[in-house]
Amino acid sequence: MAENIVVRVENLTKSFSRGIEKIDVLEELTLEVESGEFLALMGPSGSGKTTLLNIIAGLDTPTSGTVTVGKNLISKMSESMLASWRTRHVGFVFQFYHLLPVLTAYENVELPLLLLPMTRAQRKVQVMNVLDLVGLSGRINHIPGQLSGGQQQRVGIARAIVTDPELIVADEPTGDLDSKSADEILDLMGVLQKTLGKTIIMVTHDPRSAARAQRVLQLEKGKLVKDSRNFSYVTGNAGN
Amino acid sequence: MNNVEKYLLELLDSPLQLGALILGMIAFLAIVVFANSYLFYFRLMFLNLRRNIIRTSLTAIASIVLVFVVTLVWTVLWFLNLVTSEKAKDFKAIITEKWQIPSQMPYAYESSLSEGAPSQEGDYKIDKSIDAMTWQFYGATIDPEKKTRDNIIFFFSMEPMKMTKMMDGMEEYSASQLDQLNKLCEEMVKDKRKIIVGTERLQAINKKVGERIKLTSFNYKGIDLEVEIIGSFPEGRYNQSAILNRDYLNDSLDDYNRKNPNSKHPMTNRNLNLVWIRVPDKDVFQKVERQITDSPSFTSPAVKVETASSGISTFLDAYRDLLWGLRWILAPFILATMALIIAVAISISVRERRKEIAVMKVIGFTPMQILFLVLGEAVMVGGFSGLISSVATTMVINNVVGGIKFPIAFFPIFMIPIDAIWWGPAIGISTALGGSLLPSLSACRVKVSEVFARTS
Amino acid sequence: MSLFSMLATSLISIVGLTILLALVGKVPINYSIRNLIVRWPISLMTALAFTMVIGVLIVMLAFVNGMYKLTESSGHPENIIVLSDGATDEIFSNLGYSDVSEIEFNPGVSRDELGKPLTSWETYVIVNQPIPLHARKGDRRRRFIQVRGILDPARSGKVHHLVLKSGDWFSTGDAGGGVREVTVSEPGKEPRKVNATEAVLGQGIAKEIGPDYMKPSLEVGDVFNMGDKYWVVAGIMDSGGSTFDSEIWAKWKTVAERFGKVTYTTLVIKTDSKEVAYATATDIVKNFKKAALQAFVETDYYDKLNNTNKQFLVAILFVAAVVAIGGVFGIMNTMFAAISQRSKDIGVLRIVGFAPWQILVSFFLEAILLSFFGGVLGCIVGSFADGFTASSIMSSGAGGGKNILLRLTVDMKLIFSGILFAVAMGMVGGFLPAISAMRIKPLESLR
Repeated sequence: MAENIVVRVENLTKSFSRGIEKIDVLEELTLEVESGEFLALMGPSGSGKTTLLNIIAGLDTPTSGTVTVGKNLISKMSESMLASWRTRHVGFVFQFYHLLPVLTAYENVELPLLLLPMTRAQRKVQVMNVLDLVGLSGRINHIPGQLSGGQQQRVGIARAIVTDPELIVADEPTGDLDSKSADEILDLMGVLQKTLGKTIIMVTHDPRSAARAQRVLQLEKGKLVKDSRNFSYVTGNAGN
Repeated sequence: MNNVEKYLLELLDSPLQLGALILGMIAFLAIVVFANSYLFYFRLMFLNLRRNIIRTSLTAIASIVLVFVVTLVWTVLWFLNLVTSEKAKDFKAIITEKWQIPSQMPYAYESSLSEGAPSQEGDYKIDKSIDAMTWQFYGATIDPEKKTRDNIIFFFSMEPMKMTKMMDGMEEYSASQLDQLNKLCEEMVKDKRKIIVGTERLQAINKKVGERIKLTSFNYKGIDLEVEIIGSFPEGRYNQSAILNRDYLNDSLDDYNRKNPNSKHPMTNRNLNLVWIRVPDKDVFQKVERQITDSPSFTSPAVKVETASSGISTFLDAYRDLLWGLRWILAPFILATMALIIAVAISISVRERRKEIAVMKVIGFTPMQILFLVLGEAVMVGGFSGLISSVATTMVINNVVGGIKFPIAFFPIFMIPIDAIWWGPAIGISTALGGSLLPSLSACRVKVSEVFARTS
Repeated sequence: MSLFSMLATSLISIVGLTILLALVGKVPINYSIRNLIVRWPISLMTALAFTMVIGVLIVMLAFVNGMYKLTESSGHPENIIVLSDGATDEIFSNLGYSDVSEIEFNPGVSRDELGKPLTSWETYVIVNQPIPLHARKGDRRRRFIQVRGILDPARSGKVHHLVLKSGDWFSTGDAGGGVREVTVSEPGKEPRKVNATEAVLGQGIAKEIGPDYMKPSLEVGDVFNMGDKYWVVAGIMDSGGSTFDSEIWAKWKTVAERFGKVTYTTLVIKTDSKEVAYATATDIVKNFKKAALQAFVETDYYDKLNNTNKQFLVAILFVAAVVAIGGVFGIMNTMFAAISQRSKDIGVLRIVGFAPWQILVSFFLEAILLSFFGGVLGCIVGSFADGFTASSIMSSGAGGGKNILLRLTVDMKLIFSGILFAVAMGMVGGFLPAISAMRIKPLESLR
């Protein structure tokens, strides 16, 4: 069902040249992600998973091949087009949260909205909504330095969804958290998928995180070597 | 704070300027109120500067200090430029001996020169009761046994009433100060033995207003005068000056010559140093100049007529290289140093924030917006420091210290003009832009991929 | 101890101390150097700030140095300069020959091979000369020329230690001596014969007037106009960088009559030595009764004229001190940032066993290295000013003053001062950051 495909990657190749050498980081990759899927990208370091993530998220362009996200052929977009595309269509969650240390939780979440034509009042509605969702409405005026790792990541997630993007891209979201916070974050991501219908692509090393995903993609040396559906994945029952 | 009052009054006088100012303020408020996303930028710039208070403060203090020096230097240059630039209307012409300095002419020249030497029908005649003044230099010591720098006074001898009407710098005094000076002049007219001495000279000779002193002259040897000090000048360029009624000097010289008919005093035909006349415009100046130089009465010694600004330029000639150095070497290098200091601070700040900048780009901020952010931080520090510096410098130097005490030619002191207040922010903003250009370009070129760099 | 040796000693001791610290501190100096090189943009910008400050300082001091050198070479310790009492400058002095000439019998006065006293009778006037349009620079319409009417030029030359670079001294015979008939061709007029008075010019003033006549410098045989009279260049003085460079010397009688100054202004007396000069000068002031006189040993007289110079020096030092604050804060920023970025390195060094004071020394030295480098660069940049001529004024401050031409002089004294100043700035600026580096707690920095 074509309308349900959020991400379509066709014959994606990405190479870097280092001097005279040409290195293929990704080779002729083809892949489709459906709307509402929770996908884990795994692989040893150097496998190209971060590069793939970058390209799908519109942070980099392929050497050859096409990438379509939603209705947009992003592989052919210029950098400035990609910038404004990202604001509306992709949300990012990082391993090290990457919040602006001088801004409060509220302001950090508000950041992407400043790029959109909204009034202050409209932004407030959005921001409070997502902060509620992640369970931090009691901490909106704290700066990152006053929040725990788990809380910071929740702010990160709130920021990622505040513009209501269809795609969420997460890079080792639990890599810097203790197991309790990690679980909470993964729970939250599950909620995003099921309740909000977001499509989530997550890069991870952690098998426990991968277990929460519906589908696991394994990359090795720039090629897709395994694409498995997580059969223990049951709707509403996130990873036991 | 007379200058500020005067400036504000001038401003209110001109409807155009006032209108522009009001419009400017409305526009500024409008931007602040309506562009709330710009407000966010300003807030972020401010917060980023506040992150590292030490760094921001060090940069700010360095900028304040450097703007201070540049303000001092530019004040001297600005003032000298002002007095040497030809004016178009209502300016002074100076008549002096043609070939030599010091200029020494016979006093007999006075009556004709003060009127502009009109001789025929159609010649221009200066009204010497309001537009002419004479200068005679009389130097004396109060202690003939022990002559030191500190007990000599150098007098400008003139008609007392012309002092406030024609001397330079009178417009800087307030109405009440001028009033006081006029009263002193009236007293001097009534009693020719009364004198005015500047505050610093009074201190140097250790005398006070009200005291009587005996003057033993060194350039008018044998013409010693007894005088009474009745007042002083307000703080400023006449701190070291002294005024004597010319009648006292001339009468004393006549007395001497009457007592010594066979050996007249050597200064007899050399006692007139300068004649100043005020002319309404360049045409009249040229007419009067021709009248004087064509006249056969002024041949021995010959005289010359020049505008005040031209005369001052000649005296400043010896300083021309020094002033060039101040203008083109000292000031620019200090500005460059300031730009470098800001550049260092901003570079450090950008380097520390590369990840954050990458995140903002990931979220969708464009390179231009990042550029604006970083430049804005620099401009904030520079502009603000510049403003503080120029305001503080102007107020402290003018009101507390009494002016820049760096004597050049016959200008003992320089007061900072009110214009200097905008020099500070202008310097601060332009050096900030210059210095932060490269670091901000580097900031907007941060790659989004940096956001994924692994740190252990 | 002369200024030079003080500066040299300070510099050497600082360099020595630095090396000693580096050795004892044991944190390899390589670490500091590499770090500076790795962060080269910021290091370079900081060093350049120092370069600017020191460069400007050197140029300004070169100007002041030039003035001091000028006065040094203008005054001779065995000469006495006599002015009338009360004259604060030669211009205001009046010496009547009949009253004053008896001075020549004073035993202190040196005599030449013929037994004639080595004295120079002079009348100093300043003449205003209009500059023709084509030679004007900017709006400079007139210049002041220093003219000295001299009674016996050859003798005056001996007294003032002046020789001629080219041409001869003007002649002084009463019967038409010192006047030549020359042909003058002025633009727009027929060439005609006029009487021109012989004059000897200093190199500086010859170069100054030359462009009026479309030449780089006036030379022997050239005719010029001054005070509405014609003058011809009989010789050019090799004034050796003294105030006489800017003077025109001519026959006394002509100068006195033309410019209305019929008394002498100055009498310069040569004696055998500095001691004799001092003794004779005191003698003159105390005992000479025929006229009220001032007598100064020439070097002291020129020293007094250094008042404007002293004023400039004070102003320069003030500016330098203020600008130094900027430099100090600049390097503080750089060092603080470097330290916070390398706090993990510092933690490791401490854990490995280096003592806190050794950390302090390491960062302190880093600041000194940076400032030294910037300072040396500044000295190099500033030394390009050496040799440039600049006009200035020498005055005792009480009215009057000589327009002089000086040569900016950059000597080792200046270079050492510049480097010391830079290093001092670096030390002040590096001190607080080094202290903060020392106080970093090892384990916390590694978390």
